Amino acid sequence: MTKLISTHGVDITQKNFQQILIRGDGREQFNQVINKEITLQPPSKNLEVKTNDKFIFAKNSFDQWTLVYLFEQDYKKILKIISNLNSNDKILASDYSYGQVYFEVSGKNKNEFLNKLTQFDFREKKFPNFSMAQTLIARIDCYIYKLNEKYIITCNKSYEDYFKERLMDLINL
Amino acid sequence: MPSINNHNCKYIRKEEIKIVFDGKSYSAFEGDTVASALIRNNIKLIGRSFKYHRPRGIYTCGIEEPNALVQILNEHNEPNTRATIKRAYDGINICSQNRWPSLSFDIGSINNLLSPIFSAGFYYKTFMGPKGFWKKIYEPLIRRTAGLGKPPKNFRSKSIHQNHNIDILIVGGGLSGLMAARKLVDTDNQVLLVEQDSFLGGILKNSNKVKKIDGKNTFEWVKETEELILKSNNIKILKNTLVTTYNFTNHLIALEDKFAGKKININKSELVLHKIRTTHTILANGHIERFISFRNNDLPGVMLASSFEKYIERYGVVPDEKPAIFTNNSSTISLVKSLINLNCKPCAYIDSRKKEDIEDETKEYLIKNDIPFYPESEVEGCEGNKKVEKVFIRNSTNEILSINSSMLCPSGGLNPDIHLFTQSKGLVKWDEKIISFKPDTAFQNTITLGSVSGNYEFKNLCEEINKKLSFLKVKDLNLKIETNIRDDFSIEELWETKTNKISKWAKSFIDLHNDVTTKDLKQAINEGYDRIEHLKRYTTNSMGTDQGKISSINSLGIVSKILNKKISEVGTTTYRPPYAPLSFAAIAGRSTYEYYDPERKTPIHNWHIKNNAVFEDVGQWKRPWYFKKHEKETMYEAVQRESKQTRRSAGILDGSTLGKIEIKGKDALEFMNLMYTNAFTKMKPMTSRYALMLGEDGMIMDDGIICKINDKHFIATTTSSGAPKVLAHMEEFLQTEWPHLQVYINSITEQFTTFNISGPKTREIISKVFTDIDFSNENFPFMTFKTFNYKNTQARIMRASFTGELGYEIYISPQYAIELWELLFKHGKDFDLVPYGTETMHLLRAEKGYVVIGQETDGTVTPIDINFNWMIGKKKKDFIGKRSLARSDTAREDRKQLVGVVPLDKSHFIEEGQHVVECKNLPSKIKTPVEYLGHISSSYHSPNLNHCIAMAMIKSGNKLMGKKLFVSTPKGTKKYSCKNS
Repeated sequence: MTKLISTHGVDITQKNFQQILIRGDGREQFNQVINKEITLQPPSKNLEVKTNDKFIFAKNSFDQWTLVYLFEQDYKKILKIISNLNSNDKILASDYSYGQVYFEVSGKNKNEFLNKLTQFDFREKKFPNFSMAQTLIARIDCYIYKLNEKYIITCNKSYEDYFKERLMDLINL
Repeated sequence: MPSINNHNCKYIRKEEIKIVFDGKSYSAFEGDTVASALIRNNIKLIGRSFKYHRPRGIYTCGIEEPNALVQILNEHNEPNTRATIKRAYDGINICSQNRWPSLSFDIGSINNLLSPIFSAGFYYKTFMGPKGFWKKIYEPLIRRTAGLGKPPKNFRSKSIHQNHNIDILIVGGGLSGLMAARKLVDTDNQVLLVEQDSFLGGILKNSNKVKKIDGKNTFEWVKETEELILKSNNIKILKNTLVTTYNFTNHLIALEDKFAGKKININKSELVLHKIRTTHTILANGHIERFISFRNNDLPGVMLASSFEKYIERYGVVPDEKPAIFTNNSSTISLVKSLINLNCKPCAYIDSRKKEDIEDETKEYLIKNDIPFYPESEVEGCEGNKKVEKVFIRNSTNEILSINSSMLCPSGGLNPDIHLFTQSKGLVKWDEKIISFKPDTAFQNTITLGSVSGNYEFKNLCEEINKKLSFLKVKDLNLKIETNIRDDFSIEELWETKTNKISKWAKSFIDLHNDVTTKDLKQAINEGYDRIEHLKRYTTNSMGTDQGKISSINSLGIVSKILNKKISEVGTTTYRPPYAPLSFAAIAGRSTYEYYDPERKTPIHNWHIKNNAVFEDVGQWKRPWYFKKHEKETMYEAVQRESKQTRRSAGILDGSTLGKIEIKGKDALEFMNLMYTNAFTKMKPMTSRYALMLGEDGMIMDDGIICKINDKHFIATTTSSGAPKVLAHMEEFLQTEWPHLQVYINSITEQFTTFNISGPKTREIISKVFTDIDFSNENFPFMTFKTFNYKNTQARIMRASFTGELGYEIYISPQYAIELWELLFKHGKDFDLVPYGTETMHLLRAEKGYVVIGQETDGTVTPIDINFNWMIGKKKKDFIGKRSLARSDTAREDRKQLVGVVPLDKSHFIEEGQHVVECKNLPSKIKTPVEYLGHISSSYHSPNLNHCIAMAMIKSGNKLMGKKLFVSTPKGTKKYSCKNS
């Protein structure tokens, strides 16, 4: 965890999360297989986010889910879960643990700040709590998860330096 | 500061600042614009006009200004800044434009003497010949003399973009805008109120027209309203912000000047470009006063009447004690009252309307204050040396009277500011009562309030607002507005006055910015340009940076009279965004210089920097191009060294940028057989295969290596830049063409760092790193792969090569990437392992004869064209592009085909992109077309062969094997013969 910004009513922290990207049909068997590996039912509505103290589980689209581990796990354990999920023909689970970067954005001015980088509508009526979105931030493809008063933003690791530079650049302008 | 000040003005702080104009220092007040500061110092001559270099002064008090454009020397040398809106601050350094050697003595004013020949269409008619003059004489000359200010140099501005998503946008913080905002206070609507000035109030602060609102004086009412808004939880105010653009759907662009009235801090953003997406837009952006054309209506000292009043009320400066006022409407009496309040008096009040049509109240007030009154009269013209000195009045009996006056304030009526409304594609209609266009039918969710909707009567304002905003279901407003003038607006049509003095140098202007005269309009119509859009372009009328804000309706009036048509029949020209000029810096925002394009870096990037890599952009990726061994090593030397070392011992490439896609599902095999030309059915598990992907047109789209884990699970690699396209292509076919296939795909490009290690010593190096794996030919044959545990993770090694040497591709989690990379170098040190970049990769593959998709191919190349027939599964029932390969055009034998090319003279080098021709004796000057066979797609100097090797796409290339061909040089005069092989 690295504190990047804490000023002007915006707090940004880089987090070390791990992630599995899951594809499947979302039917009963799919849910059972997932539930066997983690004790959290996959969200059923598009863009819905379920969370507990261990995971963020989001439904990205009709056949895609992301499972984010909020506390760093033994990597072997993650790979084991992936292997178990992949043993089912109807599921594709891919390891996204170290190819992504994660930023937690909070503070009273977080929306205004992020709207310097994206046109995304953060208003409660358009982006309610426990929902997710895929949009461009600083012209790169990002996922945003809204959890109460904070956002978790994730993007490809190759953009890490660029993304952080853009955040730091704008906070002072 | 010799000008008279209005000490009652509450908008100017009486703190003195110093400004510099044309090298001379002047005093001004904090809050002044450049224009009000110059007026405060009695400076009337501000610049020279665009074409004729005529002396020009300050004509207006706002964004509509056509004349007073200045260069701000201390702000990146910013040119063409409107003095009427640019806020002054202590130390601002301004200079006048378009003059040499000085503003008062300008050599360019010779153009005015020559003006009789510079009529409409002069350029089109004059610069037709003689042949060759355009390029050598006319164009350089015109370019040198064109333009007003000088462009900035070494310009690096910081501006940012701010997005908004709101329910209601109110454009304009004047009376109507504030009333609408008051109505919306503490409702469920999220509202943004945008005002171009640094104060709210609009007409309440700019004029003396409104006396009281709800019993409070206007200043108090505005203050109270602003406090009410600021206390609310749903309305935000943006000041110093001008809405410039109204796009579809309800998307507006506004520009905020963050340093209005302050010295720029180069570490902060100067401008903010607000991009506003709203549900409803309330346009309350008011009106603009128009001028009247008369002889010498451009002289410094001519200033629009409402602007004159704005200088008094808003900026607290009286431009002149005894101006002459010339009007055709009832609104100008407000200026007279403002002057009288300050013990000043107009020297003449000239009204074109008949005495009986003029309001009794006006007549009585003029008589009461003993103001010379000229009803049914008009200004014939004015004269003076670089400023107004005499005004000539044609009275009701057609006599010309002359009066001495140093300022003349015309008012030709009020135009609703419909610019934004028409940008939104709203329809306008002509209103005979106000003699102007006003909004009619909105195309988007647009509501117009107040004078922009053509309502100039304050008593109707509350009712209008309540009615038009009733759909919001909020409480009705009930405000009582008391005015200082009669509330019903009356006007008589007057566009141009009659001129008596026939002088070739006296001009009646219709467009002050571009020096277009009323005579030009008439001439253009005589020459057949009788459509308003043609006329505009032929004369350049209303094409200046002010877009004819004070004059475009006047030109329609004059044209309609000549054509004997109604103005509504003549129509308007198209109003295009932006409303006022926007700098490119504001549009670009932070997407400049280092942030021009997002950058992607591999996990090994910092190692590359430490080891002197020179990077090239591949898509958004930064890839090492080559590594410099020492500072003086050239790219050529580095590439030759890296290539030789790889062939001799071993080299390693960071291939992390290659696209990687995981494919899984019970129908994965069928899907892969359909996506690629190759057959995968008989392929054994844990083997890999080079594969080709075609578009539906049969042209090569991408290539890569397919790893088959089993029939239900594959991993495909793609080119670096093709990865997103291939993933989208696969997903599209899965979702639209083959939804019955049970297959899922994920991009895993970022989840695996990839190293390509190759060369004769590779096996020895890699065996020292992965000691548990048997890399022998028997146990690890070519085009197979293995997965194994490495540290805490799983790695995959594939035996494949893009160099022709023994090679392996290692796929590892990014977490362990740098550690493994350094470990390879640790063990590779004894074997002379060298890091190499993309240029060496290209050279090594070309030596082997491998193609690069995107270099040899360009979207018009089939597999057969590059002799990849062997990659097409002949027994496959179907694959994307199969049908297209059977088309007569793709089966033609004379298509361009890939061949290898070497120069006959081995000392020659062939450049990539050069044309290949059959012609032996290429003439020194090519006058007739030479048959073109194709082009060189790749060319390198091979260190191993010690001569140039190249590839070319040539017509019927396969038949020309062994033939001698010719390659034109970049100069097109020499030729190298080369032999294809």
